[in-house]
Amino acid sequence: MDLLTGLLTTAVLAGGVLALAALGEVLAERVGVVNLGVEGLMALGAITGIATVAAVPSPWLGFLAALGVGALFGMVFAAATVLIKANQVLCGLALTLIGNGLSATIGRAYSGMPARATFEGVAIPLLSEIPVIGRAIFSQNLLVYLIYVILPVAVSIVMFRTRHGLNLRAVGENPAAADAAGIPVTLMRFAYVTAGSALAAGAGAYLTLAFVPGWSEGVVAGRGWIAVALVIFAGYRPLAAVLSGLLFGFITALGFVGQARGWPVAPAFLSMLPYLGTMGFIIVPVIAWQRMRRIMAAPAALGLPYYRDVR
Amino acid sequence: MIDLRTLSRRGFLNMGALGAASMMLPAGVTRPALAAAPLAPVKEEEAVVAFSHVGPISDEGWTWAHHQGVLAVQEAYPKLKKVLEVENVPYSADATRTFRQFVSEGASVVFDTSSKGDFLYEVVKRSPEVAFLECDGHTVEGNLGWYYIAHWYPTYVLGVAAGHLSKSGRLGYVASFPVPSVFCSTNAFLMGARSVNPKATLQTIVINSWFDPQAAAQAGTALIDNGCDFLFGIMDEAAYLQVAEKRGVWAAMWNTDIRRYGPSAYVSSIIIDFRKFYVDQVGKRLAGTWAPGEFILPLGGGVDRDAWGEKVPKEVAAAADAVRDKILGGWSPFAGEIKDASGAVRLAAGQTMSEKDLYDWDWSIEGISGLNA
Repeated sequence: MDLLTGLLTTAVLAGGVLALAALGEVLAERVGVVNLGVEGLMALGAITGIATVAAVPSPWLGFLAALGVGALFGMVFAAATVLIKANQVLCGLALTLIGNGLSATIGRAYSGMPARATFEGVAIPLLSEIPVIGRAIFSQNLLVYLIYVILPVAVSIVMFRTRHGLNLRAVGENPAAADAAGIPVTLMRFAYVTAGSALAAGAGAYLTLAFVPGWSEGVVAGRGWIAVALVIFAGYRPLAAVLSGLLFGFITALGFVGQARGWPVAPAFLSMLPYLGTMGFIIVPVIAWQRMRRIMAAPAALGLPYYRDVR
Repeated sequence: MIDLRTLSRRGFLNMGALGAASMMLPAGVTRPALAAAPLAPVKEEEAVVAFSHVGPISDEGWTWAHHQGVLAVQEAYPKLKKVLEVENVPYSADATRTFRQFVSEGASVVFDTSSKGDFLYEVVKRSPEVAFLECDGHTVEGNLGWYYIAHWYPTYVLGVAAGHLSKSGRLGYVASFPVPSVFCSTNAFLMGARSVNPKATLQTIVINSWFDPQAAAQAGTALIDNGCDFLFGIMDEAAYLQVAEKRGVWAAMWNTDIRRYGPSAYVSSIIIDFRKFYVDQVGKRLAGTWAPGEFILPLGGGVDRDAWGEKVPKEVAAAADAVRDKILGGWSPFAGEIKDASGAVRLAAGQTMSEKDLYDWDWSIEGISGLNA
């Protein structure tokens, strides 16, 4: 009982970082833009969060500031990839390098300072007393609900249940047809790449304000790349992306618990588990059911810049 | 041929290179020692001193501590022509390039603050006029020596405190890699704790990194969930201290004083201090009296425990400090009989481990789980 509660608690907390970043990447990729800058954006968000709460001790303000900084850098990236139509992979890598370097430089002044304000768990009356899941799910900080429920459900509804969502997906699948139908392709791409970047930076702020409260260089430690991979595994669907983030967090936690309990498995294998597990959970269904293959497919125009005059 | 556990603390990634090199040499043949001609004295105004770091100096851990040594050298020898410092040097051919750069800029002394192994030795061989010092190294040549810290003594002292403070007798350890400094650290810590509570056990979680706050936080949580009420580990950050603070258990740290991350959980820290050693070595090189050697900085002379945390009871601190005084007086806690994790006697009663044995320790004592899996 305690084992499961502990597992779920860390899984929910740790998975949130990946879930939010992956959700942001879904937005960008659904309109046909690969954003490999997630790692750098997370680093920027992480330092923005810490720097903001150092000035004003409010975690929400820190989170909002990170969203703002993410949007700003997202606009720069969108300007390069959507307006100028530069190579998306190269621009994304450049964004990661800029983000990591800039955050390390700014972070000099903040490293070694514990966050002045953090997101704290809030026990929801009644619900938090349910055995096992009570503590794991209903005693978390409020940001967790935003990441796991409000945002993904909202994105999902907009993306799959509204005309705007249909337009959004059309831009990612066939921008020429979308353009012919009167959908503003460039504006759509610009807006969603920016929004996705904001969420990625928000994931960084969640990391330093709710999970490891403090900045140190390299704190993101490659989670941005995992978020990009999770999007592919999740078949570019918002709910699945968030769930795979949670799953990844769960299996990671399982690896640590396995070591703590002295399971007779090599630690190296246990730390490999999250990657194996996530791949397994997502690849197996695709192989098992043919229909999944179509559902899981990438947007057809992913990674391709759209030139109106050469269609 | 390659035994993971005999690899040095930070030279873990040199595994491939070491393996290849050792396979090329026929058995029994080691690198021929160079004729040890003392290096000529250098004028302070003309001397260049260089440092290569593994991490950023802002890490508040290992690299930060070495950086304090760099500052001390600058203060002691203000007229030095140049003091070079490169951060984030990876375990790759880039390290070799960095050392070559140092030599071409006229360095008289080069400090490698995290063993770069063969990536360093390549440059050492070609630059006999330059003195090299490798932290956590294993090789001594005409112009190459190594240095480390006797961290096992203060670790034993922290173990004594842990034995007093832990109610459950279950200690948790956030480990990076199964390398000698981690074996030695876990063993010394548990031996200290067992001198107080013979039933104490130590559980480790290996996170495969010296620096990964997210993994360290998760490992710390898993250990506490599993009943541990005292956390320890060699990490370059404070993540598990923050977890301990939140969950109301004790924690001891490494490298520097980082109690502000968890003032009530903080017990103490293994404080490392290379300032005096660096100033000494640079001084000797300038004077022309530098000689290569193996330097293990002793308790109180480069490594020590930090001032006790505010919540540590006075009598616990006094009991641990009494042990520290005993060690300073020449007593070694690392005496037989010592059994390994399988229960076999590895050190017979009456024998004592030498500093070199402790430095190369590559097996777990009885009561430790998770490292030898």
